[in-house]
Amino acid sequence: MTSESRIGIMGHHYRRILFFLLVLLTTLGAMSLLSVAFQDGGTRPHELVMLGLYAILTLWISASFWTATIGFAMLVTGRDHYAIANADTRAVGAAPSGPFKTALVMPVYNEDPVRVFAGLRAMWQSLVETGQQDGFEVFVVSDTRDPDIWVEEELLWRRWAKEMGHPARVFYRNRVENTSRKSGNIADFCRRWGGRYRYMIVLDADSIMAGDTLVEMVARMERNPKVALIQVPPVPVNRSSLFSRMLQFAGSLYGRMFTAGLSYWQLGTSNFWGHNAIIRVKPFADHCGLPKLPGREPFGGEILSHDFVEAALLRRAGWRVWLAYDLGGSYEEIPPTLIDYAKRDRRWCQGNLQHSRLVFARGFKPLSRIHFAMGVMSYMASPLWLIFLVVTGVAAYFQSLVEPVYFFGNNILPVWPETYTVEMTTVLWVTLTMLFLPKILALVLLAAKPALSRQFGGLVRATLSVLTESLFSVLLAPVLMLFQSKFVLAILLRQNVGWPAQQRGDHQTGFAEAFGTHLSHTLIAVVVGFLSYRYVPSFFWWFTPVLAGLALSIPVSMITSRVWLGQLARRAGIFLTPEETAQPRVLQLLEQNLERAGTPLCTTATGGDLWYRAVVDPCAYALHASLLPDETPNRRRRHYLEGLIFQLQDEGLGSLKPNEKRALVSHRDGLFELHTLLWAAAQPPSAGQIAGVAANSGTVHQ
Amino acid sequence: MDSGIAMAGQSGVTFAAADRSPAAWVRVSERVALYLRALGIEDPLHRERLLVRIQQRWEARVSAVPLEDPVEAGIEEAYTLLDTWLCAELDITGEVDALFTARAAVLSGAVPNWTGRFAGVSGESIAAQVRAAGVQPEPEPAPLDMEPSTINLCCHDLGRRITGALRVLAGNEPAAAPPRKEQPR
Repeated sequence: MTSESRIGIMGHHYRRILFFLLVLLTTLGAMSLLSVAFQDGGTRPHELVMLGLYAILTLWISASFWTATIGFAMLVTGRDHYAIANADTRAVGAAPSGPFKTALVMPVYNEDPVRVFAGLRAMWQSLVETGQQDGFEVFVVSDTRDPDIWVEEELLWRRWAKEMGHPARVFYRNRVENTSRKSGNIADFCRRWGGRYRYMIVLDADSIMAGDTLVEMVARMERNPKVALIQVPPVPVNRSSLFSRMLQFAGSLYGRMFTAGLSYWQLGTSNFWGHNAIIRVKPFADHCGLPKLPGREPFGGEILSHDFVEAALLRRAGWRVWLAYDLGGSYEEIPPTLIDYAKRDRRWCQGNLQHSRLVFARGFKPLSRIHFAMGVMSYMASPLWLIFLVVTGVAAYFQSLVEPVYFFGNNILPVWPETYTVEMTTVLWVTLTMLFLPKILALVLLAAKPALSRQFGGLVRATLSVLTESLFSVLLAPVLMLFQSKFVLAILLRQNVGWPAQQRGDHQTGFAEAFGTHLSHTLIAVVVGFLSYRYVPSFFWWFTPVLAGLALSIPVSMITSRVWLGQLARRAGIFLTPEETAQPRVLQLLEQNLERAGTPLCTTATGGDLWYRAVVDPCAYALHASLLPDETPNRRRRHYLEGLIFQLQDEGLGSLKPNEKRALVSHRDGLFELHTLLWAAAQPPSAGQIAGVAANSGTVHQ
Repeated sequence: MDSGIAMAGQSGVTFAAADRSPAAWVRVSERVALYLRALGIEDPLHRERLLVRIQQRWEARVSAVPLEDPVEAGIEEAYTLLDTWLCAELDITGEVDALFTARAAVLSGAVPNWTGRFAGVSGESIAAQVRAAGVQPEPEPAPLDMEPSTINLCCHDLGRRITGALRVLAGNEPAAAPPRKEQPR
């Protein structure tokens, strides 16, 4: 049995001191090189700005660099005395904890129901294969507003629940109002059913976890009663486009080093990533009710990125939060294209920027503040790099205007101007090393571990993959920098950038979409390229990697979205991941479930407008009505519903907006009225058609 | 089931005064029969039996409420008959959620031969099958308190606080603090 101190305080100090010392020394070293170059003739204001920006950015990249390097060392040596994997902090002689249940909580919001239920079924099947399923229940907590998706969720839930039989183990509820989004959804679950469960494993619509991982997560929580949350890092899987396969490769290979490194210095003050984590329900309910922040959006109002805040609140209350980097069997699906990736960033950006207000809020642990700051920096780094590049370009321009003076006063010999090429080149190399060395370390890790290397296609193919990924990273980084800078600016100016909903499944970027999205990037590259070439030619050549990424953004965005290229690379053994080399059982089950998705329960209720079928098809109608709350709409609501029914009769189905359709099918009484009204129309209802209702207007029944 | 939501008559659709004549019922019964088929009652004998009972209920109803849409009244009576039977079969009168669950179970086709029992053709109770086919969407409530935590932002209202401190330093009486628009948590 491990003593309390093994995951307690003792190890924390030297690990964190070492890590932050390394980060700090690296930053100071890089800054001193740059400041030497700047001090010629006194430091000018723009140089001070550059120095400040460089300090922040170097802190950021050196923290990543040292995290990866330490993670590499841990994975190579296989030593981690303080890992949660080995910890057992139960008091000696503690009473057995008694029976308990764990909920697999799947919050959904207008997601593809077929994928959601196929994933849940795969997890359950995998759990059944462990023989440990008795302590688990599945809970789909839906915030779905789209009426068609809502009805499909119900049908798929009903079919699965029917197959599972008694006792009921899979539950479903759709929230009447989706207050506070995902955090409100989870909070509602805790308020209504939290007492039923000791643990909940929070999932995401595209996450999937193996049964033995779920069982082990529970076991680790049981062994450590002061731990409130264990995050299992999800590995990206299941996408086929070149872009997503590159990300999957990077996430799988470099990701393991980063998560090991994070666990090294974060220990029991790790973070919550929003899903694929097990949470002790009672302390979560006690401490993680989220307040609204004072002030207006984007920094006030509801807390958008709730996960970091919940982890910080748990730590503030004395509970521990761990990252189980060693635990496999945790997966997620990622955006298939660069544009979808940027859309996801847009959603996350505002929530992370909001955390800037929490960095100095009272009571949080210092490391929680660092998590908040890192969250902010993950988006602020882009505009800061952009400003740094602009200031560097402007400085280079003014520098180019200065004529060197070789002869002063009575000096016979020329006084050569002092050059700082060595210092500046060193700064550049230090920066590049910090950015690219983790990739090389990843290859060293593979060389040291042949079994792992084989899972990535062997060392040669993995090296080719790393080189190709690095090339594309260089091309994609400036585009992402501009995307993120735009998002940050838009949020600060309280403007809507206007992205449509993200598409999760594999799809490809067409020319029109790429042109519309990246035209501004290309134009920026052309204009900046021309200006720098014309006025600061020496700077132009340094700047070409950034310009190339922007100039080629349209073709790169299109090419990387291609599924056939991703598949071709896979056949060539490029970007192979362990999950592709030997598909884990739970992913096989997911694939099978998707192939066998078939029709939902009410066989006539397939295709077309499902919400309408839930009104007219007695099977779907009865199921939908049974899942609605037993409440009578108030007078105002009834008048609103009357108006919608008139609209439906007079103008047909197409006139109703999704929220109006949802309103029509949200109350048992109103739904019944509509059901009988449609069945009494001049023409009997047929799925997907409302002609009978429209024709009903003015009809006289004799 | 009368929610008061506008019916067809109020939407510009007009109906003649209630007609209890056999001819009127024939027109209504065609639609009600179609509806019974949609409910899953395929056996013509079962439908025939049920139509007789629905007709009785319909006649009583249209004579009591003369301005109703007779077809709609027929559909409603078919549904009410189903609910009445389910309540009696399962002994769940007044238990609304149990009724809705039972209705969803039989109409999903999960209970074999329910239509015979509904039509009064079969004498054997199917209460156990209906209960077994019912699926519980949510478990029993097990509530936990989850109040919003307090997060004290360090620099919230800093301007107001500095101004207040300066006023005090300047010797001005601190004015009564105006109510904040929003309390920091």
